[in-house]
Amino acid sequence: ISHVLVCNVTQRVSFWFVVTDPSKNHTLPAVEVQSAIRMNRNRINSAFFLNDQTLEFLKIPSTLAPPSDPSVPIWIIIFGVIFCIVIVAVMLLILSGIRQRRRMSKGPTEVDDSEDKCENTITIENGIPCDPLDTKGGHINDAFLTEDERLTPL
Amino acid sequence: MEKARPLWANPLQFVFACISYAVGLGNVWRFPYLCQMYGGGDFLVPYVIMLIVEGMPLLYLELAVGQRMRQGSIGAWRTISPYLGGVGLASVVVSFFLSTYYNIINAWAFWYLFHSFQDPLPWSVCPLNGNRTGYNEECETASSTQYFWYRKTLNIAPSIQDSGGVQWEQALCLILAWLVVYLCILRGTESTGKVVYFTALLPYCVLVIYLVRGLTLHGATNGLAYMFTPKLEQLANPKAWINAATQIFFSLGLGFGSLIAFASYNQPSTNCQKHAIIVSLVNSSTSIFASIVTFSIYGFKATFNYESCLNKVILLLTNSFDLEDGFLTASNLEQVKGYLASAFPSRYSEVLPQMKNCSLESELATAVQGTGLSFIVYTEAIKNMAASQLWSVLYFFMLLMLGIGSMLGNTAAILTPLTDSKLISSHLPKEAISGLVCLVNCAIGLVFTTEAGNYWFDIFNDYAATLPLLLIVLVEIIAVCYVFGLRRFESDLKAMTGRTLNWYWKAMWAGVSPLLIISLFVFYLSDYILTGTLQYQAWDASQGQLVTKDYPLYALAVIGLLVAASTMCIPLVALGTFIVRCLKRGDTAPMA
Repeated sequence: ISHVLVCNVTQRVSFWFVVTDPSKNHTLPAVEVQSAIRMNRNRINSAFFLNDQTLEFLKIPSTLAPPSDPSVPIWIIIFGVIFCIVIVAVMLLILSGIRQRRRMSKGPTEVDDSEDKCENTITIENGIPCDPLDTKGGHINDAFLTEDERLTPL
Repeated sequence: MEKARPLWANPLQFVFACISYAVGLGNVWRFPYLCQMYGGGDFLVPYVIMLIVEGMPLLYLELAVGQRMRQGSIGAWRTISPYLGGVGLASVVVSFFLSTYYNIINAWAFWYLFHSFQDPLPWSVCPLNGNRTGYNEECETASSTQYFWYRKTLNIAPSIQDSGGVQWEQALCLILAWLVVYLCILRGTESTGKVVYFTALLPYCVLVIYLVRGLTLHGATNGLAYMFTPKLEQLANPKAWINAATQIFFSLGLGFGSLIAFASYNQPSTNCQKHAIIVSLVNSSTSIFASIVTFSIYGFKATFNYESCLNKVILLLTNSFDLEDGFLTASNLEQVKGYLASAFPSRYSEVLPQMKNCSLESELATAVQGTGLSFIVYTEAIKNMAASQLWSVLYFFMLLMLGIGSMLGNTAAILTPLTDSKLISSHLPKEAISGLVCLVNCAIGLVFTTEAGNYWFDIFNDYAATLPLLLIVLVEIIAVCYVFGLRRFESDLKAMTGRTLNWYWKAMWAGVSPLLIISLFVFYLSDYILTGTLQYQAWDASQGQLVTKDYPLYALAVIGLLVAASTMCIPLVALGTFIVRCLKRGDTAPMA
C-alpha cells in the first residue's frame, strides 16, 4: 500500500492509480501494469470481493470465460435415449403385427370372425348395443333368422 | 367376405383425431399475428362470422362425404362421379407436399427440446469471438435467440442459391420425427386412436399452465391491453375479412382429404353434424385462448426489453456524467435528460448518438408470425423467466404434440387411399405401406435440412397448399351440390344418420360458401399477378437482420410446378376417364 498513490478521487468509487517501483523510485509504465492486471484479474477482484461486472479497469477488456462445453453435447445424449426408445417401440409393434397375421393365416374362418368382432368393438347407441351388421355388407340379418326357421319348406 | 373396415373404438377418438389435426401450429403462431395486425379484439368479428358462414358448413360437408362414402378421398370422389377422381388425387398430392415439409418443424421442435436441458439455455448467451474479448459479431448485431435460430439451428445460407450441404444434426432430428410419426400411424386407427388422446389433450394442459404463468408475469397486462384495444377502422379493411376467411379455411385443414379419411373410419350412424360444430368451435376457441397466452408473453418480453433499454441509458448517463448511483431512475429520466442537455450541452451531444430511444409501443408492435414467433420471440421471453428450462421444455413439448397431431391427419390423407386400393393393399401389408410413405417423405425432407433449406421451406409453406386447396374445396362443393345432387345427398344423409338436414346447411352449401371461396380464389390470383416477381426474406449475417431478395428462375419454376402438380390432376383425370369411357364404348359398340 505504501507504493500505491491515489489521486483524482471522484464521487463514484473510481480512481486513478500509479504503481511506483521502490528500488528505482519511478512509476512503472502503463503497458506493464495493464498486462499484470490482465494476468491477475482474479486476485485483484477477490481482494476487493468484487467481480468483472462490478470492478472495471478502463481500457482493459476482461477476457470472458467461455461457456462450459462438455465433451459430449447434452442434446445428443437425450436424442440417443429417445431414438432408442422409439426404435424399440416400432420394432415391438411390427413384430406383434407379424405374429397376429401368422395366427390369422393359421385359422382363417373362425379367427376371422372373432377378429372382426374384436376390431369392431360393440358400440352403444342410445343404450342399445348395435352389432356392426352394416359393415358385413348386406348379409343375413340375425333378427330375422327365427322367422326363416318357422317357415316349413315345400 | 371382404375384411371389415377398421373403425374408431369410440366416437370420442374420432373427435379427438379431428381436433388434434385441426388444432395445429397455425392456431399458435398465425392467429395471434392476425389479431394484432387487423385490429385486436375487433378481428374476432370477421373471424366468428367467417366461422359460422364458411368453416362449419365446409367441415360438415367433408365429414359427411367421408362418413357416407366410407373410403379415402380418391375413392370417395370417384364414387360421387367417375370424372371427379382427380379431386381426390389432387388432395393426396397436396397432402404429400404438406407432410414432406411439415415434419421439419417437428424436427426443429425436437432440436430445441433437446437443447432445453442445459443451464444456461444455449440461446440466452452469445458465444465468444476468437480472442475471447467479446461476443460473436453476428450474435452482437442480431440477438442471441436470432443467432441460435439462424446460425446454430438452420446454419442458414445468405441466399437460396447457396445450397450448402445437409446439416447432420437437423437430418438426425428429422429422421427421429419421422420415426415418431411412423410409430403413431403404424397400426392404422388402432394406434392412431390411442395417440390422439395425448396429442389432443396435452397441448391444452400446457396452454393452461402457460396462461397462469403468463398472466402473472410482470408486464403481461401491457401486451393484453395492446392486443385487445379495438381499432375500429380495421373492420372496413377488406384485408381483415379476407384474412379471417383464409385463416378459418386453412386452420380447419379442409381439402387435404384428412377429414374425409378420418370420417371414413366412422360408424355410419355417427352424428357428424354435432362433431363438425364441436370441432370447429374447439379449433376457434383454441386460437383465441392461444393468442391470450401469446400476448401476455409478448407483453412480458416487451416490458423486459423496454426496461433493460432504459437501464442501459441510465447506466450510460451515470457513467458519462459521473452521477451518483441510483440517482437516475425510470421516472425522473426525462427530467434529468433535459437538465443535462441544458447544463452540459457539449458532453450531452457526444453521448446522444449512443442513447437508444426506448419505447414500449415499438417493442409491442413487432408483429411476428410463423417460425419466427415460436423459435425467436417465445424463446426470448422464456429465457428471461425464472426456471426457464422447465418452461422451455413444456413449450417445445406442446409444439411437438401440436405438430405430430397435424402430421397424423396428413399421413392419414395419403395412406387411406393407398390402403383402400385393392392393388396395393393385396401386395403389401399396412405397415409396409406406411413405412414406404414415411421413408420417401423423409428422403425428400432432407432437402429442408440443407443450408438453404429454410428458403425452400418458405416456398412450400407459402405456395404448395394455398391456391390448390381453394380450387379443390370449390370443386368439392360444386360436385356434392350439383353433380351428385343436393337432394340425393340429403336423403343419403338422412338414411345414414336418421336426422334431416337443416335448411341452414343446404343454403350454405348451395350458395354462400362457393361464392366465398370463388371470391377468395380471385383475390389470391389477382394478388399474385399484381405483385409481379415473388420475393423472399433472406438472412444477412453481417447486418444481423432479414433482407428481401428476388427468387431465381428455377425457384419460380418449382413454385409453378407445385401449384400445377395438384391442380392439374382434376382436369387431367376427368379427361382421362372420359377418353377411357369413349374407348370402351367404341369397343362394345360393334358387339351390340
